[in-house]
Amino acid sequence: MSDKTEVNLTGVKQSKGVWLVKVPKYLSHQWDKATEKGEVGTLTIGKKQGKTEVHFSLNEELTALGALGEKDASLQVPRDHPFTMNTVGGQTMAVFSHSEAGEISLEGMVVHRAECRPVVNDNYMKLKKLQIQETTKPQRLSQQLEKAITTVFKPVANHDFNVEYEKKKKSDGKMVRAERQVVLDMLFSAFEKHQYYNIKDLVDITKQPVTYLKEIMREIGTYNSKGAHKSTWELKPEYRHYQSAEEEEEMQTA
Amino acid sequence: MTSLGGSSSSTTEYTVRVPKNTSKKYNIMAFNSGDRVNCSTWTQARMERDMSARRIYGEEETQEGAAGSEFGKKQREEARRKKFGIVTREFKVEDQPWILKVNGKAGKRFKGQKKGGVTENASYYIFTQCPDGAFEAFPVNGWYNFTPLAKHRTLTAEEAEEEWGRRNKVVNHFSIMLQRRFREQERGEDEDDEGEKSGKKKKKKGGRGGDLRIHDLEDDLEMSSDDSDSSMGEDGESKTKAKKDTGKGKGKKKKKKSNEHEALEDSDDGDYEGLEVDYMSDESSSDEEPEKGKSTKGGEEHPKGIDEASESEEESEEEKQNEEEAKEEEEEEEGKKTPVQVEKKKKKDSSGESESSDDSDIEGETASALFMKKRTPPKRGGGRGSAGSSRTGSRPGTPSIDSASTSNTLRAAASKLEQAKSLFPTGKRQTQGPSTDSPAAKRLKMEPSSQSPVPSGKTTPQPPSGKSTPSSSDVQLTEEAVRRYLIRKPMTTKDLLKKFQTKRTGLSSEQTVNVLAQILKRLNPERKNVNDKMHFYLTE
Repeated sequence: MSDKTEVNLTGVKQSKGVWLVKVPKYLSHQWDKATEKGEVGTLTIGKKQGKTEVHFSLNEELTALGALGEKDASLQVPRDHPFTMNTVGGQTMAVFSHSEAGEISLEGMVVHRAECRPVVNDNYMKLKKLQIQETTKPQRLSQQLEKAITTVFKPVANHDFNVEYEKKKKSDGKMVRAERQVVLDMLFSAFEKHQYYNIKDLVDITKQPVTYLKEIMREIGTYNSKGAHKSTWELKPEYRHYQSAEEEEEMQTA
Repeated sequence: MTSLGGSSSSTTEYTVRVPKNTSKKYNIMAFNSGDRVNCSTWTQARMERDMSARRIYGEEETQEGAAGSEFGKKQREEARRKKFGIVTREFKVEDQPWILKVNGKAGKRFKGQKKGGVTENASYYIFTQCPDGAFEAFPVNGWYNFTPLAKHRTLTAEEAEEEWGRRNKVVNHFSIMLQRRFREQERGEDEDDEGEKSGKKKKKKGGRGGDLRIHDLEDDLEMSSDDSDSSMGEDGESKTKAKKDTGKGKGKKKKKKSNEHEALEDSDDGDYEGLEVDYMSDESSSDEEPEKGKSTKGGEEHPKGIDEASESEEESEEEKQNEEEAKEEEEEEEGKKTPVQVEKKKKKDSSGESESSDDSDIEGETASALFMKKRTPPKRGGGRGSAGSSRTGSRPGTPSIDSASTSNTLRAAASKLEQAKSLFPTGKRQTQGPSTDSPAAKRLKMEPSSQSPVPSGKTTPQPPSGKSTPSSSDVQLTEEAVRRYLIRKPMTTKDLLKKFQTKRTGLSSEQTVNVLAQILKRLNPERKNVNDKMHFYLTE
């Protein structure tokens, strides 16, 4: 079982009460733009005729919608946000935090739930309209072109890629048959890594012509035409030695 | 913090801070109201991520490198998946549920599953009040709904469906879980058992190796198991070569032959595994054997046994084994064959080469007298004769071996004694047969005079005069003698006959048979079927 982190229960023990507040997205965006100190606004809690009223007021400098410092007068985030307070209503909610180091601690119990609502005015409506427009924009766009594109697809005598390939082939030359023993060494070391190989892969590894390679493989290995590892070559059982770490060189024939 | 005095309102202002340097991530732990969870009662709590889903997502690799892996398999698998558009979701640790254990082992357990869609459209913040009166707001990273985990056992989906079907019949619901527990126990035991059984079987086989086999039943039991085959087969081989008890070889050979020799076809009449002929040679011998095997049934085995007894031990052993196999393969119907074979093998006559047809006839007739069965004596005799000759022919080298190995058997002991007796008319026994089996030894002790070999007799010239005088014979065919034998050990008629050899008792074969029959009628012994052979015994 993985190590269990002991939960720090101090928060609960002290019966720290916290508020769970639902905040609109744009507001949280603005809060992200706050300064180092982190002050974003003021919370006013008052008692009016017996009722508790909570009001949040956003700081001046954070009302600008654009980047910080920019004073876009046209659109501003509303400043006044009354909180709607709700009780927890029987549901037990606790707050726990976990850090990068993997420490978990219980911060406290939720005693109140609140929703941060902006005061609805024209400004807000405009803001909302903008938001909606942005979200309703389709992700993909079809655009009509006036002129046909002539730069990309041109008929070509021989594609670049193809030309390169042929040049490479020519320069490398045909695969030369190496010494049988050398090839066997290569094969055995390859089969140490994996049990099943495709003939193409073997050709790639050993750089031997196919017929020669097949000849050698027929001597030391078998071809699986069916089964899980279809159309692959594997070593014959007497050459295999997968359990122990013994080298297959012992099994090589001269 | 400013406080404004108001008419009927008092407000206090607090600064709200949103700390930037939060290394801690805040989450909500939500419980169901019905569970009545009170966090303040928790004394100790442990929490960790539930990683059980990793296996499912992991797509476990069969084996990295070496055995079982293919070159470039991963790439190929990925390419395949892409081609088919299979998108596998990544395993994100962040999204895994939590397991919360409260108050140690005996306490409650909760599973907290992440609630999706919390942070998409609105952000949650936790407002806590700081000592300085300001509020700090922390963004909520995730919301986990914690549900209590059942500690009691539950039924799986399949089991639940079954029980649902029986809901009208079941009255006692407690029994449902009890039964489940029993089933689980059994399963656990079964797995253990299987492991043990295979081990046991192997041990058994090994153990049988050198023991005198008396019961073929064990063979039959073992023969049903598959893993016995291979080991049995091997044993069978060594058996023919070495001298071991036949019963084992019999069963094993049969299996081996049927399973391992591809040359063997399914048991036909003609096949007779024969096949396992070490001494090479004659097909004829193997052919004959099956014939013989066929012809002998039940009591007829007596004569056959004698015939074979006359052969060299190994020969007979080999043949018998072959025969047995032949018989077995031929027919399940005649299960008696095998017991016959076993019996024959037991009664090996090492020395005998030639059979005396007299004796064989006696045996046959005796058997018929006692068992009232039909026989085909001539056929048998003929078969035997030819078989005997063919056998001898086929194994020229065996006699020498035989004489060497005869000492192990009863016959060998008997023949040696007889030899000794001939040399020492006083009846002293010089050679007790070096390594006689214990039963043989017992028998020797039991009998007053030297052991009499099977009537088939040896080629050693023995003046009849020196031996058989009715009055001075060591063995008298009396009721008392028969009773003694039967009390001591269950015996078949054949056995009894061997005890009362014609040469010893001075009676002719016919007489012996008649007298013995009479005695047995008088004694009225109890019958017991061992190895499909009727044994008589008395208990007093």
